[in-house]
This record gives sequence, structure tokens and C-alpha cells, in this order.
Amino acid sequence: MTQFLLHTVWLIPCYAFVGAIASGLWSPALIRQTGPRPAGYLNLLMTLLAFVHSLSVFVQVWQQPAEQWSVSWLQVAGLDLTLSLEISAVTVGATLLVTGLNLLAQTYAIGYLEMDWGWSRFFAMLALFEAGMCSLVLCNSLFFAYIVLEILTLGTYLIVGTWYNQSLVVTGARDAFLTKRVGDLFLLMGVLAIYPLAGTWDFDQLGQWAATAQVNPTVATLVGLALLAGPMGKCAQFPLHLWLDEAMEGPIPSTVLRNSVVVATGAWVLIKLEPVLALSPVVLTAMITIGAITAVGGTLIAIAQIDIKRALSYSVSTFMGLVFIAVGTGQTEAALLLVLSHAIAQALLVMSTGSIVLNSITQDLTQLGGLWRRRPISGISYLVGVAGLIGFPPLGGFWALLELADGLWATQPALIAVLLLVNGLTAFSMTREFGLIFAGSPSQMTERSPENFWLVTLPMMVLLGFTLHLPLILQSLGLLPHWADLNKDMALLLLWSSVTGIGIGAVVYVGHSIPKPIQLPWKRLQDLFAFDLYTPQLYRASIVGVVDKASRLTDWFDRQVVDGVVNFVGWVSLFSGQALKYSNSGQGQFYILTIAVGLTTIALSLGWSFVWPYLLTP
Amino acid sequence: MILSTLIWFPILGAIALALVPSRYLKWAALILSGSILLGSLWIAYQFDITQPLIQFREDLPWLATLGLNYQLGVDGLSLPLIILNTLLTWIAIYSSPEATERPRLFYGLVLLISGAVSGAFLAQNLLLFFLFYEIELVPFYLLIAIWGSEKKSYAAMKFLLYTAVSGALIFVAFVGLVWLQGADSFAYTALAGNTLPLWQQLILLAFVLIGFGIKIPLVPLHTWLPDTYVAASAPIAMLLGGVLAKLGTYGIFRFGLGLFPEAWGTLAPGLATWATVSVLYGATVAIAQKDIKRMVAYSSVGHMGYILLGGAALTELSLVGAVAQMFAHGLILAILFHLVGMVEAKVGTRELDVLNGLMNPLRGLPLVSALLVLGGMASAGIPGLVGFVSEFLVFQGSYAVFPLQTLLCVVGTGLTAVYFVILLNRTCFGKLDNAIADFPKVEWRERVPALILSLTILFLGLQPTWLVRWSEASTHAMVAVLPPVTQVTTLAQVLDRE
Repeated sequence: MTQFLLHTVWLIPCYAFVGAIASGLWSPALIRQTGPRPAGYLNLLMTLLAFVHSLSVFVQVWQQPAEQWSVSWLQVAGLDLTLSLEISAVTVGATLLVTGLNLLAQTYAIGYLEMDWGWSRFFAMLALFEAGMCSLVLCNSLFFAYIVLEILTLGTYLIVGTWYNQSLVVTGARDAFLTKRVGDLFLLMGVLAIYPLAGTWDFDQLGQWAATAQVNPTVATLVGLALLAGPMGKCAQFPLHLWLDEAMEGPIPSTVLRNSVVVATGAWVLIKLEPVLALSPVVLTAMITIGAITAVGGTLIAIAQIDIKRALSYSVSTFMGLVFIAVGTGQTEAALLLVLSHAIAQALLVMSTGSIVLNSITQDLTQLGGLWRRRPISGISYLVGVAGLIGFPPLGGFWALLELADGLWATQPALIAVLLLVNGLTAFSMTREFGLIFAGSPSQMTERSPENFWLVTLPMMVLLGFTLHLPLILQSLGLLPHWADLNKDMALLLLWSSVTGIGIGAVVYVGHSIPKPIQLPWKRLQDLFAFDLYTPQLYRASIVGVVDKASRLTDWFDRQVVDGVVNFVGWVSLFSGQALKYSNSGQGQFYILTIAVGLTTIALSLGWSFVWPYLLTP
Repeated sequence: MILSTLIWFPILGAIALALVPSRYLKWAALILSGSILLGSLWIAYQFDITQPLIQFREDLPWLATLGLNYQLGVDGLSLPLIILNTLLTWIAIYSSPEATERPRLFYGLVLLISGAVSGAFLAQNLLLFFLFYEIELVPFYLLIAIWGSEKKSYAAMKFLLYTAVSGALIFVAFVGLVWLQGADSFAYTALAGNTLPLWQQLILLAFVLIGFGIKIPLVPLHTWLPDTYVAASAPIAMLLGGVLAKLGTYGIFRFGLGLFPEAWGTLAPGLATWATVSVLYGATVAIAQKDIKRMVAYSSVGHMGYILLGGAALTELSLVGAVAQMFAHGLILAILFHLVGMVEAKVGTRELDVLNGLMNPLRGLPLVSALLVLGGMASAGIPGLVGFVSEFLVFQGSYAVFPLQTLLCVVGTGLTAVYFVILLNRTCFGKLDNAIADFPKVEWRERVPALILSLTILFLGLQPTWLVRWSEASTHAMVAVLPPVTQVTTLAQVLDRE
């Protein structure tokens, strides 16, 4: 039985895929008989199967060497597109994380979307994401990773557009799709360009090739930058970060997954591509710079947001920026650990704030407050989520950030300052939100806001427990450093930055001494962060404007010039034909007149160059 | 014999429709077109995919003094297009409305077109090809002029004039080739290995390129297309975009690349640039359109560019990709025109600014919207759908030869995504206006064509072997006789040059 499960590991993505397709039956055919709910239950069951399957396989592959499988997909004209799978503890562990979080998020969604009619569409999309992410982590090929990322881009468009009749949702879905597509197309260019160089798309063979490759540095840089753009889009890095913020228009249960694991798909591909990207120092510098800008900028923007979901979404960009820094400095293990701890903590944070939004009917931070006594479970979940996210011992984020800082110490000590700053600012930002939601006195919106029913609360509490147990799990898997190897100075620095951030945040936002709302002294600066560094305007002025203008101009050119010439030629020949027809009355004079006029015209036009000097000179 | 059946069965059937009682007309047409569809599938079943040469050869002497003989045959380049032609004919007949006026003439003309187009794809004699190429012109003119929508006579006349010019140019090229070569027949095999000097080849190739370039169409020879596609009714637009345009691309491959390989190799960099301009131009103009049918029509201009790019790069992979793109584009354009026609029929408008919220499950057109998403995304090259496979093969095959042009064409797929998102956002998303949301019910039989096409698009996207296996041997043979394109450049060389 266990062998059978191991050999059918490729089924893990298939469960969700089957669920996604079967959901189509409820849209809208079966919905009239059964209502929309069975679609959700079916997908939940499929996810449960996938989770159990992953778990049983994970037990078997733990501490076993990685296995490579391959399935032929397309062989044509010398191009061999073989789907290769990698079955290892890391990849199966990743499917475990994806299916586990999906299980919780789908349970949460069944509670959260109780009144919604679009279940079949929504759950089909959740299942599509699950299937896509599971196949992404299992597949060992850049080409197939690109395919999955591109399909998930379409998935983002459709899942953000779940509530398609609201205008903000429509623009949000559009922007999410197009921004991610820009990243994907650069990735496609990289995929096209790397094959003639390396002769393979398999990640492990790309790594071997990169170890000994002699590539023209400019080519390596260009290919590396193209490959980098894909993860930049997925991980919502500056300047492709806008979509994540706009995607917040989608339902919150999908946000749970998006903020935790969907953005991590980009990080996954980035980690896999690290040897190739490392071929060019320029690419590494770009990666670190982008990561640092996004990390610092993201937290500052998050602090200036008044929308819960948006504030959280910018902190996602921030942590993905840290992953970029980790990969840029060659620390893929720290990056993976960071992705794991961030995914769990972020999912918990979104679930907690989502449960607040559901009952308070607002996601505006300025309208909330005083919920601590009414919503203790959500409050504790939020606090644990924060502690699991930032460097707060002994939870997961601490160990990830510590490992990253430890590695930076040897290579780029200056980045430790960035790391500490980001950690401190995130701590401050999260505490600010906590203060605005839970502290203070109740407002009109929070007067009647009890804890939700079990379908929403239970998944949150399970995840809460999991976040708390993550260090123990990491310990048992041997992923935590020994006490003797621990860099205690660094650990103290990290702890100090977290505590400072939380402390300042608590004094300002949890305490009553400072009146709210708090504005930066300089209005311009406040607006700069509140309006996301004016990125939407920047887009509109640059790429969107250019495409818009160019399309109008080309359309005008097409109508007036290209078609105009054609119509003119047609009109002239038609007109002369018509004229000839009417004058063709059998009277010889007309022919002679026509010929005479024609000849004169030709003669005049030919002789004009000789005549006109005499006309002009008196 | 089977090849002749594909041609003459529908043509004779068109005449036989005169005797069928009008109640059974559509059934009769469906049975006729269905049987040629089965016939073409049978050919595919019998077709030896490892064999690069012409198969099922038929050769009857006809007017030997003119060099015109009845020579037919099929190879990997024409087989997918034959299947596409018979499939789309059946779907066009199936999806034409019950209340079509003068149905006898309508179905007869559609069947006539099917036979003539099959004949053009199968002909192994240049003059025979030309005859079939011209025969299909008049039925199309009538179909547009009689059953078209607004501005139909203008559009039909424009179509007729353009295509007549195209035919004249091709005729000049064919006759010129025979005359210069001193051959005594128009047989393809006799002319394929011609030994003309390069400059003569270049002149003849220019005629072929412009002639077929009008038919494809390539920018700037394309302005008949939006008017014609928009004026034609949905089934006819399917045939125009799905099949007729392929006659142009087929011609450019068979009679341009195949007859003048040396000249083709000389012009290849120019052709690749021309392809890129077409791709970007078509996509950019499509973004500015306010009429969804016009938008889809312009998308066709852009997508034809990929085929030319694949042809220009002259690698085995790019040619396989180009043939696959012909088939894929036929399917995708057909489903898009069908759905756009359905939206127009139910909602009564094609204006982007008026349409809204069709995804509404109760009062909107949910299935049409869902399939419109599928069709649009297939056109934009989202993986898992057939458009991606063919475009990717073209790109991967062309990248080694023309890196810059290929990358610009990738940008073109991005622009395609832009206009399809505009189309989907305006038509499917948004709030349905209850005042106008009183659409006629969509019958199951109206859904069947779109479902067949979308399942094919999905199946070939997931199992692309079925899409490319037909043409691999033939394109391999085409590349084998060619001199390699001399301007082979890699990205590194491009960079070094600057």
C-alpha cells in the first residue's frame, strides 16, 4: 500500500484537478437541484485525499535521496519536451504545505462564503490553484514551471474576478492579470533563450550546466534578468507589485492562499534557478536591490494603509523581498525556510483579519477598534501570526530570519541592517494594525462583532496551533541549529529589533496617550506611502499610456492612411469608369474631347517644370 | 480516389441540394459535410506519418497541351488543413441559423467552397491549384453580399477586388515560372527543382508573396479583412478566417518556400521583420477597436504573422510550429467568431461600450462567457490550450535564427492578452443591466459547435503530439533540401554587432 502511494505520487495534483472540473457541473446546471454547496464539499474531499496522500508519501521519502521520474509529453523536430518530476523530501513537503493550507482555506471558505452563489466557480479556481502549485513543486523543469505559472496567472484573473459585477473587482482582476503576464512573458523569453545555451530545461541539469558554463557575460545578464522577471511578477516585487494590492478585491479565502503560497510559487522558481542566475553578478545585484527596495518600501507603504487586507498584502511583498535577498546572496536554504514560516504565519494573519472583516462588515482600520474582549480567539491568532512572521523566538520566522542574517554576516554585512530595519518596521506595522483593530474603545462597526461560527474559527485555530508547533516540527526534522552553533549576537540583534518595533507600535497604537489618527508631519510623504509610491499613476503615465496612445495612433493610421489609399485608388478607378460610362453616348465629339483634355493634362504636367519659371518671373 | 471524393462529393452535393425538399435541406447539407469530414479523418488514419512525400497520389491527363493535368496528392503540410477545412465546413453549416434565407443557395455555396478549398490544398499542379483558388472566390462574394450585415456590398466588392488582384499576381508568377524554366507542364514536381538564376527567382517570389500576402493577409495588404469579416455572418466569418486565410499561408509555404527555396532564404530576414510588423500592428490596432467582431478580425492579422515568422526562420521546429499554428488559429478564430456571433444574436449589439456582465448565471450568457474566456486565452497563448503549443514551437524554432524578431513577437502575445482582457472585462464581467437583460434562451444545439471546438482546443493543447505529428516528416524534408538561412545570428552576435 505504501509503495503504491509512493508510485502514484503524481496523483496529488490530479485530485484537485478532478475536483475543479467536476465543479463545473454546478455552474449552473446542478445548482438548481442541489444549490451550490456540494461543489465546495467535493473539492474539500479531494483536497483531503491529496493531503493524506502527500502525508503518507512524505513519511516514506523523508531522508531518502531524491528520485527523478520522467514522462514524455511531446517530441518533435529535435525538441524533447519531457515532463520530469522530482520526488524528494522538499518537494513532497511542499505539496504537504500546499494541500494542508488548502484544506484549511477551503474549510474557511465554506464558512466564509456561506451566502454566496458562485461556489462552483470559486472552488474550482481554488482547486486549480492547488493542482497548479502541487504540479509546480513536483515538476523539475523550467518549461513546465513556466506553463504552470502562466496558467495560474489566468487563475488569478478569474479568482480575483469572482465578484465580477463590482467595478473595482473588474479593474483589479485586469491589472492582476496583465501585471503578472508581463512577468510571465519575460520569463518566456528567458525560457526560449536558455535552451539554445544549455540544451535542457531540467532544473538539476541547468544547475550542472551553470557550474561549468562559459557564457558571454552580456547574454548571461540578459537571460538572467528575463528569468528574474517571472518571479518578480509572481512575488509582487517592485515595480510589478501593484497586482497583489489590487487582487485584494477578491474573496478573503482566496487571499489566504494567495498571500501565503501562491506568491511563493515565484520564490520556488527563483530558488530553483539560483545557479543559473548566479552566472551574472549583475543579475544577483539586481535581485538584491529589488528585494531590498521592495522590503523597505513595502513595510513603509503597509504602515500608511488604512485597509486591513492591503496592509497585509504589502507585508507579503516585503517578505518576498527578503527571499529575493536570500536567493541573491546564495542562501537557498534560508530562503526555503523563510517561505515556509512566512506562508504559515501569513495565512494565519489573513484568516484572523478575515474573520474580523466578515463580522464587522468593514475592512477599514479607522472604523475598527476595541475588539479584544469580543474577539479573543481572533486576537490571539493575530498575535501569534505576528510573532510567527517576524523575528520573535521561538517561533518559525525567528529561525528563518536568523539563518538569513547568519549567512549575510559572512557575505554582505550591510544587508543585515536592511534585514533588521525591515523586521523592526514590520513589527511596528503589525502592532499598529493590532492596536487599531483590537485596542481602544469599540466603534459603531465593532459593537456587534462576536466570534464567527466554527467553520471559520476552527481552521484558524488549527493553523494557530500549527504556527506554535512549527519550531518543534523543524526541530524534529533537524532544521534548527544547535545551541552551540547559534549566533547569539545576531539572535539578540534580531530580537531587539522586533521588540523595539513592537514596543513603539504598542506605545503609539495600543496605548491611549497619543490621539489618532496619526499623520506624518509632512503630508506629501504620508501621501507618497498611502498611495503606494504613486505606482498606479506611474503605470498610467508610462506603459499603459504608451500602449493606449500607440493603439489609437495605429488605428487612425490604419483607417485613414492604409485603408484611405486603398479606397482612394478604388474611388478613382470607379469614378473614371463611371464617367466613361456616362459619356459613352456614341457621340464622337465626347471621345475627342476626352482625349484632348487627357492629352493636354499629360502635356501640362510633363511640361510644367519648364513653364513655371516663366510664370513666376514677371 | 478518396482525394477526388473530398473535392467532388461536396460540389456535386451542392448541385444535388436543388432536389432536396426544403425541410431537409440543413440535414442534407450536414450529412454531406459530415461525410467529407469522416473522409478526411479516414485519410488521416491511412496517412503514413513517417513518409515525407506526397501520398494518395492521383494523376489523370486533362489538357496536356496546356500543361494542366488533374494531379492530386496530400502530404504533411496539407493534411491538417484538409481536416480543418472539412471540420469547419461542418461546423459552419451546423451553426448557421434555422431561419437562413434562401437556404438552398446558402448551403450549396458553402459546400462548393469546401470542395474548391480542398481542391486547392490537394492540387499538385500549379494551374489546377489556381483554378480551385479562383473557384472559391465567387461563392464567398455571394455569401457576403447576400447574407452579410451592414455595408455588405461594399465589403463584398472590396473582397472580390483584392482577391482578384491576388489571383492575378499568382497567375503571373506561375506562368512566368513555367515560361522561364521552359517546362512543358505545370506539374508541381517538375517545377520544384527549378534552376532559375536567383534574380528571376526573387522576382517570381515577390509576386507569390504579395499575391498570397493579400489572401493571408499581411500588413499593409490587410484592409479588406476587417470589413469583410465584420460584414460576413458568423458561419461565413468562421470559414473566411479559419480556412480561406490558410489558403494564403499554405500557398506561401508550398509555392513560395517550396518552389524558390534559394530566393526565400535570401529574403528570410526581411520576411521575419515583415512578420513581426504584422504581429505588432495587428495586435495594436485590435486594442483600439470598439466592436468585438472587428477586434477578433484584427487579432487574425496579428496571428498570421507568427506563421510567416516560422516560415522565415526555416528550421524544422519553426516550420512544424507554423503548420500547427495554421490549424490552431483556424480552431481558435472559428470559436471566437461563433461566440461573438452568438453574443450579437442574443444581446443585439457588438459594441464594447454597451455590452456588460454577460457572465451573470441567470440572466446573462454564462456558458458563452466561459467559452469566450477559453477562446480568448487560447488566442493569447495561455498554456494548456492549443494556441500556446504552436506559438511556442514557432518561437523556439525561430529564436536561434531571428532572436530579436522572435522576442518582439513574444511581446505581441502580451498585447494579444491586453485586448482580450479588454474584451472579456467589458463583455463578460461587470454588472448586467436588468433593463436590457432579456435575452433569448441559448439552445443546446447552439452550444454544440462551441463545445466541439473548445474540446478540440483543450485536447490538442494537452496532447500536442496529435497536432504536430502529421507535418513532422514533411517539414523535415522541406528543410533538408533548403540551404540554411545565411543570416544565422545568435543573441550574442546581435549584441556584438552593436
